[in-house]
Parts: sequence; structure tokens; C-alpha cells
Amino acid sequence: MPPKPHRVLLDRVSGYADEAAAYMRRRRASRRPFARLYYKGGRAEDHAVDTRAGGELFVAAGRLIELAGKRPKS
Amino acid sequence: MADGEANGAVSGEAAGGALAYLTEMSPDLRGAAIVGSDGTVLAASGQAERWREDVAELFAVADDAGGEPVGQIHIGTEQGEVFALRHAGLAAVAVTERFALASLTFFDLRALLLDLAAGGDGRAGEASPDAA
Repeated sequence: MPPKPHRVLLDRVSGYADEAAAYMRRRRASRRPFARLYYKGGRAEDHAVDTRAGGELFVAAGRLIELAGKRPKS
Repeated sequence: MADGEANGAVSGEAAGGALAYLTEMSPDLRGAAIVGSDGTVLAASGQAERWREDVAELFAVADDAGGEPVGQIHIGTEQGEVFALRHAGLAAVAVTERFALASLTFFDLRALLLDLAAGGDGRAGEASPDAA
């Protein structure tokens, strides 16, 4: 007996939601701290945290993050 | 407009309005500042003097890292993310929650600076009330 049409629709929506949730989990797990600089002409540079420039960039960014604080709950 | 200097001085009032608009339309935003060509803070969420010092240090370190003036900065840490952008002598810096959409954040910052530099109020993306 074929499934009812609304059941098929619900399964499909549920499948999309599961895919989206899995994508977000993978994204959160795979993203590590990074420092990326972009220049005129489209050149971009990544600086690892264990380099001198990278370390200084992370310190400077940390100060700004501390200054901004937490987003006030609305 | 080319990426030269802003079209005249940007007022603190215009920058403040632009910052309020950015805060309103960016759910991930924790704080931000708009800095003029001479390094003065035109608008900031919180302590303007500290924003001036910390933004100046960020750009100094970034310029030094690449050996040339940087156009955009994106730094992601466990505690949050920092976006910074220069245009026409102005600079905008935003601190967001982690995993904020980078392209969208840079787009908003760029639109804000483009509009301010052209003498607008930084709300270029807002629908005109007359349009309704």
C-alpha cells in the first residue's frame, strides 16, 4: 500500500531538516580559529596562530571581542 | 566612487545612525565602530577611546603582517569573530558571534561605508519611506 501523500511530504521536510542540522554540526566541528587578510587586487593571506603575525592578530582581535562584550539579550 | 577619500567629512550623527541601523539588522552583531580617516571614532558601541586604540592596533598589525595596507580583515576565534573593512579613508569594524556569515557581514559593512563616503546616512539598503 503506497504511503499517504502528506506522509511523503513530511518525510521529505524532515530529511531536509536532518541534512541542515548535520551540516551545521560538521561546520562547527571543522572550523578552527583563523586570521585572514585581504588586499587590493584580490590577494588573500591566512596567518596561523603559531606565527608572529598570526599571534599579534589574534591578540588584537581578542581585545576587540572583549571590548564588544556579549550581545545584550533582547 | 573610487577608493579614495570620503566625499567631505562624515558627521558623527550620520555615522551613529549608520551604526544603529547596522546593529538593528545584524542579529549576530555584538559591537561595532566606524572610524574616520584621521583615526577618530565617528561612532562606536561603548567606549569610543578604547575602540580607537584597539582598531588602530588591529590595522597596524594587519598592515605589518602583509607588508602593504590591508583592505579587509576577518579573524575567527573561539570567543567570536572580528570583521574589519576600509573604504575611502573610512574604516568599519564589527565583532560578531561565532559562525556569522562572512559574506553578508562584509557586504553590510561595505554598503555602510560606501554610503557614508558618498555623503549618505549609511542606510543605503533601507527602503525609502516614500516608496511605500
